Amino acid sequence: MLTFSHLILGLFQALLLLAAAPLVSGLSRMVRAKLHTRHGPGLLQDYRDIAKLLTRQDLTPPNSGFAFRLMPAVMLTTVLVIAMGIPMLTRFTPVAPIGDLITVIYLFALARFFFSLSGIDSGSSFSGIGGSRELTMGVLVEPVMLLSLFVAALLAGSTNLGAIGSAIADGHVRSATATVIAALSFAYAIYIELGKLPYDMAEAEQELQEGPLTEYSGPSLALIKWAMALKQTVVVAWFVGVFLPFGSAPEMTFFGLLFGLVAFAIKLVLIFAAVGVVENSVARVRFRLTPQHSWVGVGAASLAFVFYLVGL
Amino acid sequence: MNGFLIVNGLSGLLIVSSLLVTLAGNPANSARFYALQSFILVMLFVALAGATGSGELYLWSFTALLTKVILVPAIMYRAFRRLSDPTIGSGAVMPTALSIVGAAVALILCFVVASKVTLPAADAIKPALAVSLALFFIGLACIVAQRNILKQVFGYCLMENGSHLTLALLAPNAPELVEIGIATDAIFAVVVMAALGSRIFDTLHTLDARQLTSLKG
Repeated sequence: MLTFSHLILGLFQALLLLAAAPLVSGLSRMVRAKLHTRHGPGLLQDYRDIAKLLTRQDLTPPNSGFAFRLMPAVMLTTVLVIAMGIPMLTRFTPVAPIGDLITVIYLFALARFFFSLSGIDSGSSFSGIGGSRELTMGVLVEPVMLLSLFVAALLAGSTNLGAIGSAIADGHVRSATATVIAALSFAYAIYIELGKLPYDMAEAEQELQEGPLTEYSGPSLALIKWAMALKQTVVVAWFVGVFLPFGSAPEMTFFGLLFGLVAFAIKLVLIFAAVGVVENSVARVRFRLTPQHSWVGVGAASLAFVFYLVGL
Repeated sequence: MNGFLIVNGLSGLLIVSSLLVTLAGNPANSARFYALQSFILVMLFVALAGATGSGELYLWSFTALLTKVILVPAIMYRAFRRLSDPTIGSGAVMPTALSIVGAAVALILCFVVASKVTLPAADAIKPALAVSLALFFIGLACIVAQRNILKQVFGYCLMENGSHLTLALLAPNAPELVEIGIATDAIFAVVVMAALGSRIFDTLHTLDARQLTSLKG
């Protein structure tokens, strides 16, 4: 049941993530600098970058159309909408209509669609190829996400993310092995979605995968950078909310929410630290090999599905 | 009932570990994963002994711990560590993803077969029974779809683990003598195959089953 307080909680957590997203990406940059044994930027560097970009002039290529101008706003708002529906501080989803796994996957697909469309719309051939690369990535990752989340949904008996999360937290799922395998393959999909090495480098604007960003400047670029940092955070929050909901508040009480916030922050920092270590200890994989890797994820998710069917 | 749930859950891990054995990059790692799998099998025996109240199974799990978790992997690890054929790669014929999907399909088919079993002893452990059959077929597939002759030895070991599990599930009160028969069988087979593998490597300098077309030495 969607009440006013649930809506407020959803807005609160979306804005909280929006405020914290540059901090999280700053943390990954700091971890990377530490692992490279260089001094590196401070924790707040991404706030400074965004603030600086917001004061600059916004230039658009003469051949670009409305999709190019619309994209930064669409991407940021889509991710914010997703952030309202994902269970973060609580077991249940704050805004239940958004907190459905199919809705969330398609909202991410919407953001991705506009991201690559803007690359094609900018009129630059380099951006266009970057856009098609982004869509290819989506085609490879989404089956793994869908299949592993469907297994979790079947085990919990609901496609609502909060319901899946609380079923896992209470141990009401029928098969522990299937849950663990589904969680692992979902974590793998999430890792690719984060855009880290060995599959991507999220900060490489001069490279093909950030091609759609080539023609952006000023406030638009600031919004996209912010949206991308937010997307990384939301994606991890999605995993935490579904498969690691331990410590979050089952009821909406003040201290429950406070405890949930602390637990969520700890989980987020731990996951991003682990991701930082993985990211900096692997070499880039050739893009041609990415499908082979993602198919392993599909295989693992289908194995989880079979485990569910057999009742292991 | 709860004990049987643990048995079924552990048998799921057996499928995962058998895939790790099959897909591991080199035979030495396969030996490590095989030890892990045998350890899960031993845990399963203990859980089954608790669930069925069979005293013999505790003895089984102890001998299986000695032979399968310690002795056989140690023999294989020592024998296979020094044999390496870089030209063969992982030696797998099928892509990794297809192997995993294949294991999933084998498990489904085995479950269909196992659900037809109407023994009263097999009611609660049908998923585990399906896993034991699937384990046998994964081992068979590991022999067929592997070019590395050392990895084929692991296929035999997986088949052997599968049949061992079937026996334990359907006849938990079988006497210890049967178990000793199975265990010694496995040890000698592995010793012979390890010796054969190193002789083949010494003579022909390859581990590729496709290269073994001529008689030499």
